[in-house]
Amino acid sequence: MGRASSIQILQYITAIILIVVLTFHLIERVPGLSPLGAKSYEESVKIEPVKKAYSSYGWVLGVLLIVALFHGLNGLRGMLLELRQGRGWRIFVEVLIWGLFVVFGAWGLRTILLMT
Amino acid sequence: MAETRKEPRKYWNLPGFWAASLNPWLLKVKNNPERVAFVLHRVTGAIIIFYLLAHIIVTSFSTNPTQWTRIMEEFSTSIFNKVGEWIVAGAVFFHGLNGIRLLCVEFCAVGIGRPEKPKPPYIPPSLKAGQRTAIYVVFALSLIAWILAGILIFTGRLF
Repeated sequence: MGRASSIQILQYITAIILIVVLTFHLIERVPGLSPLGAKSYEESVKIEPVKKAYSSYGWVLGVLLIVALFHGLNGLRGMLLELRQGRGWRIFVEVLIWGLFVVFGAWGLRTILLMT
Repeated sequence: MAETRKEPRKYWNLPGFWAASLNPWLLKVKNNPERVAFVLHRVTGAIIIFYLLAHIIVTSFSTNPTQWTRIMEEFSTSIFNKVGEWIVAGAVFFHGLNGIRLLCVEFCAVGIGRPEKPKPPYIPPSLKAGQRTAIYVVFALSLIAWILAGILIFTGRLF
């Protein structure tokens, strides 16, 4: 892994990006404010607005996916490494976090590419 | 005399290992909102990351419209799902608002005050410059946003 200070700066930068992108993603569910034009919360998760979201701004969802995965998994990595120390545990945590990042990142990007 | 090789200590079997690991999370929180904010930030972060992994799996079903419609109909009628969504919404709001406060203090150095020589009564810099007020503001705004999210999730409309 890289230096802890560089990783922490990336954690802060991803936090700033997430505040913007995640606010937009949550506003999609609010009727009246939603860019999808949904009239209610349930209507905003029907297939037509969802397809419209992917086709209109799928790249925003891609950014949200990668940034949220990095920020969340890095935080989880920090908590796990504080809970217990040792060479074996550190390797286990690194492999687990990287594995989750690659698998779920690929899974999410596949969904976005198929829907756009 | 030959020295005997010391066996490396295994920490996991020492008495109180788990208490020592979890102790910083469970310290007394009386008159200590900083500790409450710290623990809640970690707990909400854990909730959000596990929800995110499940969310990625569920949204992958949107590639099949029939399956997606069936799943969303089940979710919209399930009170268990709505309560779970409400809990995650609360976690997101607190984690985000507290994160903004942490960004201001740790990344942008806003609200932490200038470094100075320690003088009696030795108040820590984290308690000066409105930090405690900022924590209470975060708690209040998170609660308001959580209530509004509950109205949206359980009634379908906000206004």
